[in-house]
Amino acid sequence: MLETLFNLHTLEAAFRIATPLLLAALGGSLTHKAGIFNIGLEGMMLIGAFSAVSFSYATNSWVVGLLGGLLFGLLTGLLFGLFTIDFRTDVIIIGTALNLLALGATTYLLRAIFQVRAGLSSPRIDAIPDVHIPFLEHLGFLKVLSGQSVLTYGGWILIVLLHVVIFRTPFGMHLRAAGEHPEVLAAAGISLRRVRYAAAAGCGALCGLSGAHLALGYLNQFVINITGGQGFIALAAVLFGQGNPVSVFLVTLLFGLADGISSNLQVLGVSGYFSLMVPYILTIVMLTIFAIRSGRKKSAIRA
Amino acid sequence: MTAPASAQPSAPVMRLLRRLYGLATSRESVSVLVSVLLTLVVGGVLVVINGDNPFVVYRSLFVHAFGSMQNLTNTLAAATPLIFTGLAVGISFRAGVWNIGAEGQLYLGAMGGAIVGVYLTNLWAPMHIALSLAVAMVCGGLWAWIMGFLKTKWNVDEVVTTMMGNYIAIHFTSYLANYPLKPPKAPIGSTDYVQESAQLPQFVPYSTLNAGFVIAIATAVVYWIFYRYTTTGYQMRTVGYNRLFARYAGMPSGRMILWAMFGSGALAGLAGCVEVLGVQYRFVQDMSPNYGFDGILVALLAMNSGPGIVLVAILFGALRSGGLGVERMTNVPSELSIVLTSVLILLVSSRYALVKLFRKERGTRA
Amino acid sequence: MTRQESVPVNAGSDYAVEMRNISKSFGDVKANEDVHLAVRKGSIHCLIGENGAGKSTLMSILYGIIQPDAGEIYVNGRRCVIRNPREANALGIGMVHQHFQLVDSFTVAENVVFGKEPRKGWLTDRRKAAEITRKLSEEYGLKVDPAAKIADLPVGIRQRVELLKALHKGSDILILDEPTAVLTPQETKELFATLRNLVAGGKTVILITHKMEEVMSVSDRVTVLRRGKTVGTMERSECDEHKLSLMMVGRQVEAHLPKPEMPQGKAVLEVSGVKVGGAQGTLSVRGVSFTVREGEIVTIAGVEGNGQSELVEALTGLRPVLEGRVSVGGRDVTNQSPAAIRRAGLAHVPSDRIAMGLSVGQSLEENAVAGHHRMRPFRRGWLMNHREIRKFTESLIGQFDVRCGGSSVAAGTLSGGNMQKLVIAREMSYGARFLLASLPTRGIDIGASELVHKHLIEARNAGTGILVVSTDLDEVFRISDRILVMYNGEVVGEFRADATTREELGLYMIGARRQQEAIAGGEAI
Repeated sequence: MLETLFNLHTLEAAFRIATPLLLAALGGSLTHKAGIFNIGLEGMMLIGAFSAVSFSYATNSWVVGLLGGLLFGLLTGLLFGLFTIDFRTDVIIIGTALNLLALGATTYLLRAIFQVRAGLSSPRIDAIPDVHIPFLEHLGFLKVLSGQSVLTYGGWILIVLLHVVIFRTPFGMHLRAAGEHPEVLAAAGISLRRVRYAAAAGCGALCGLSGAHLALGYLNQFVINITGGQGFIALAAVLFGQGNPVSVFLVTLLFGLADGISSNLQVLGVSGYFSLMVPYILTIVMLTIFAIRSGRKKSAIRA
Repeated sequence: MTAPASAQPSAPVMRLLRRLYGLATSRESVSVLVSVLLTLVVGGVLVVINGDNPFVVYRSLFVHAFGSMQNLTNTLAAATPLIFTGLAVGISFRAGVWNIGAEGQLYLGAMGGAIVGVYLTNLWAPMHIALSLAVAMVCGGLWAWIMGFLKTKWNVDEVVTTMMGNYIAIHFTSYLANYPLKPPKAPIGSTDYVQESAQLPQFVPYSTLNAGFVIAIATAVVYWIFYRYTTTGYQMRTVGYNRLFARYAGMPSGRMILWAMFGSGALAGLAGCVEVLGVQYRFVQDMSPNYGFDGILVALLAMNSGPGIVLVAILFGALRSGGLGVERMTNVPSELSIVLTSVLILLVSSRYALVKLFRKERGTRA
Repeated sequence: MTRQESVPVNAGSDYAVEMRNISKSFGDVKANEDVHLAVRKGSIHCLIGENGAGKSTLMSILYGIIQPDAGEIYVNGRRCVIRNPREANALGIGMVHQHFQLVDSFTVAENVVFGKEPRKGWLTDRRKAAEITRKLSEEYGLKVDPAAKIADLPVGIRQRVELLKALHKGSDILILDEPTAVLTPQETKELFATLRNLVAGGKTVILITHKMEEVMSVSDRVTVLRRGKTVGTMERSECDEHKLSLMMVGRQVEAHLPKPEMPQGKAVLEVSGVKVGGAQGTLSVRGVSFTVREGEIVTIAGVEGNGQSELVEALTGLRPVLEGRVSVGGRDVTNQSPAAIRRAGLAHVPSDRIAMGLSVGQSLEENAVAGHHRMRPFRRGWLMNHREIRKFTESLIGQFDVRCGGSSVAAGTLSGGNMQKLVIAREMSYGARFLLASLPTRGIDIGASELVHKHLIEARNAGTGILVVSTDLDEVFRISDRILVMYNGEVVGEFRADATTREELGLYMIGARRQQEAIAGGEAI
């Protein structure tokens, strides 16, 4: 029975499913470290997906599509930053409104521009290719590492890149200070505003990439609400992994596995819905554990 | 000497945006007007992209929302679930907590109410309906209560827990609707139809307006009375305004928050149950087009006031049902209304934020 | 006894910092009035004074956080205008605040170099950062481990990192604001040794303090401020406890408000051996015992930050009592909820009227009824009786002369003094046996203060036992029957108000004296 659940196919699927989660969660890590509670990952991904499909459709090139997704994701991130940093709107409101706006706008534009009802799929849309690494395919179970999408490998590279940026560069130090103790930045003469804008833009760009992958690397089409809540799973991963790229990666892998198992579970007669709930339940449990631990550390003023 | 540290280079676009924004927020009434106008402009651009004339479309929107008795009843029907979720979120906001989980609580309430409606037979109709509503409230309320408990006991952020709770609830009810409770011939996940004794009576033929609207208004009245006249309402609101003050004055702030979360979840559950008993007559998976999230925006725009929530819910309902009508007559997609709603919220809530900032600078003199 | 500082015309290189004729007002309050300060290079200069004397204001001006209304600043002999902390840093002035500006998850080295991080291409050069830290640490004798995480370090070491930060920025002039407030005695000794080292190396230190032992053990010169003015400057050799105390609190004939002699009543508050925690694991209250009886006003005097606010929080149920007992009206209320303590007979006027005393977004009526909102006239079953509440609120407003736009306006629209009057009105309306008033006249004008005092005395005459916490010696002498002085978390002295002078109190407030019986918790005098 375990073989049905956990086989190489599951693992391969897990990597594939985890990719958009990973990309969005890496983006979310940037804003998390900067001290911005961004619940609008879903909206940013959706906008990225739609832009990527539109550009790919228009130019029949997945590269342009990818860049389009990245660009519009970045712009959305800047918009988010504008409202939350300069206009000081409550960050939950912005996140919620942004998600709804993204859903409404992408659905509207899908119907208005492309004149289709529910989804756009066409041979003109160029998909993100998979990459096959020949020597890996002869290495037993390591062959799951070959044949993944360009963006999957890109995601893995980004893990390392983001880890280095956050923990080994001056910008990363400023970013983490912005989230932990913003006054230190002011005392050092560094603009908190600029750091946070950079985080918001970076987050938007990565979420845009994530959406691009959903649309161009996964289904090769755009359907209404293509993200379907994955932005919130990504958020769960950010919180669970506390914004650290490596931890976040492991968590998205875990979530990807859970999702991958869900269809196998159905073969065994258990509903796949239960493994879909896993990311959310795990996150609540972990956050509760974190809270209990940090509560014990602080001295209590009961208020 | 060194240059002032506060100078920031701004792109011309930023300056233009800032000027536009400054215009939109200079004075209360003017700024609301400008926010509305800007929203209409954004919507207008979208309409033009679709190849239509904005003025025609807006007029059509208005007509389809309010233009006839038929349309009006459609608007009120569309407003009904939003009244419930708006009040639900209003309760939590007034207690100083953020219940983002109304969507999930709605589904739990819908399922609870559906089960009572489907499987209990030979009940007198008002009893059946009342029981169904009560169970729905308990389902939604308990779910929210758990998140409240995590917050008051261990200070776990309720925004995150209620948000995650949404999807747990949605998946769980989808599971029920696709496996144990699914009737054999149903195409998608749903329950059986509820008994006739559990169905909410309709008012008008050809419209989904039903007794649920009356229940919604009644709930709003209870909400208003609760906060204005009851001691518990007063304590709950005080906890929301200043929890430290409430504790200092001897109010049981933790308990108030727990009750508020329960009440919040209960009303969201009501929203789902009314939808089941009055419109769908069964539970259907994915039956809520983001009613829970819209409720957040309704409560926000109405500043948590009971009458305000009813009015704003009707406004949102008007946009929704008007948008549907517009889609039938022209071919402008109905999602226009979602765009209008969210852009309006963005602009208006910024104004609120700035007004608050402004007042703080003038200073509470002390 | 005042002494004008005679300032040499070409203030050459002798003085690291000179501040002349500095004046700064906040509204009506003159925080600094024509203040002079001259700090010699390579010395430790203490700035001493009570709360509200103007020390923090003066240093904030020097550090560029606020701008003076009048006066000049000379740094190393040159006239300077310091518009913000960056400019202060550029002039070589560094400040170590009471609340550290450190990022807990960073290492020592990362905090020290923050803002001027050494780079290796795109990356931070960690080795260089550690090296810089080590060099600074050795040069100034501040032992730290560059790789340690701040979160794991005790307060004393964290303060060293703050000093290193200032030194890394190239500061020659270091301002320390009450640095020993959070330190253990051992850490204090180490800090003083460090300061002497720094000064031996040519740095200049300005130390804000209110503790005599610090002045006596580490300073070269002392400047005393009182009520915004410079009282005088002395060399360390000219200092003694009496001179310091006198300069700090002044000498004047005390104005006691007339009160009838009251018979000794029952105890309304008994505090016995109470210990309360403070920031980062230290004790803020180290074992305090005293009693308050019906019909008397007992005032806790002392400079802020000696444990008074933590004690008040513990007595009112908002902070845990680690050891000891508290009873109100004869009932043990140790570590019970605020509601239970109120039921035992407590009324509380908090020190922060906006954060705790009122709900500024709600109406005066809603604020007035808080605390007795569940009681009979205001409540009928489940419902609130708005008519009674309004009547009650209006009567409070009338009795206490609260200027407002009616009983239904938001509390936030009131001025500070009127807010305070409302809080006091409400707290006195419960008929409580024990009233605790913390800093009751902070930030309000003379007229309102006098009204507050009048009401306190009326309550006392009617038999209420009142505990007041105050930093204003004028107020202490006007209203008190008995005075307790709190220093460093202990009650170090207990006096009858008509049997002591402010000079004597001053000695206790700066830690120059301690009464053994008071510390043991007996009934002194």
